[in-house]
Amino acid sequence: MSGFLKIAIRNLLKGPTTDPYPFGPTVIPDKLRGKLKVDAKACTACGTCEEVCPSAAIHITKNKNVYVHTTWYNTCCFCGNCEFFCPTGAIKLTNDFHTANTEAEKYKFITVATIAEVKCEKCGKYFTAPSRELLERAYPKVNESVEKFMNLCPKCRQKEAFERLHK
Amino acid sequence: MSIITRSPFLYRINTGSCNGCDVELATTAMIPRYDVERLGCRYTGSPKHADILLVTGPITARSKPYLLEVLDELPNPFVVVAVGTCPTSCGIFRDSYSIEGPLDKYVKVDVNVPGCPPRPQAIIDGVAKAVEIWKQKIRNQK
Repeated sequence: MSGFLKIAIRNLLKGPTTDPYPFGPTVIPDKLRGKLKVDAKACTACGTCEEVCPSAAIHITKNKNVYVHTTWYNTCCFCGNCEFFCPTGAIKLTNDFHTANTEAEKYKFITVATIAEVKCEKCGKYFTAPSRELLERAYPKVNESVEKFMNLCPKCRQKEAFERLHK
Repeated sequence: MSIITRSPFLYRINTGSCNGCDVELATTAMIPRYDVERLGCRYTGSPKHADILLVTGPITARSKPYLLEVLDELPNPFVVVAVGTCPTSCGIFRDSYSIEGPLDKYVKVDVNVPGCPPRPQAIIDGVAKAVEIWKQKIRNQK
């Protein structure tokens, strides 16, 4: 009897446990896997996320001098493979869970990130620049001599490195 | 403009789902934490009473006739909500030999709630949108 009274009084003091969500705020866990956020500056358009996505929600297409990274949420299963395998950490899953959408916006329910190509300083050819995150992964220390190669296309970079060695 | 006095009834059908979305639907309906009855709708056991149809699962070849049967029995006007990624676009099961989805091959879907499974709050969002569309459809009918 006393146990029951204890619970009854505790519940009276606590108030309702109903989540007030559509009319009020709700609790969102930090680690909830929701919509993607793509950092276009860190992304190198390598295509790893497109490869590992089990439901083919991610597509990377090439326009003129620009890569377009598209994620369609109506087929995404929010597994987080893209975040796990991204070599530069450009993709992050936010805890935004608002996924309900009407039929009219079914095929427009996407996020788009555009990864611009950079013009080579020497030959003027457009190429995907290595991002800072990629350099930090490749080199133990990112200093000026490494940063100098960021704006050179692969061929010019090879040439420059070779000349530096043999002069 | 007339005032709608009736509340919409919900009916759910599982078309080969893994039960993840069904558990989330049961959570929104049955436990007081995510009370879907606050939006003025209740679950019903028969599609003949239903106004909002909630579909889970990628519509397997085996469950397709049952879905078509339910769609025939629904009274007009009705609203269809695809709960989960599977009925919306078949998700990871797309192009499988035993999958006859997605849902919008068979009926005009009104609201999609992607997620694997979607959160109870996302389902409540979808149901709220469906109720709005249902009210609009009744107004257009009158």
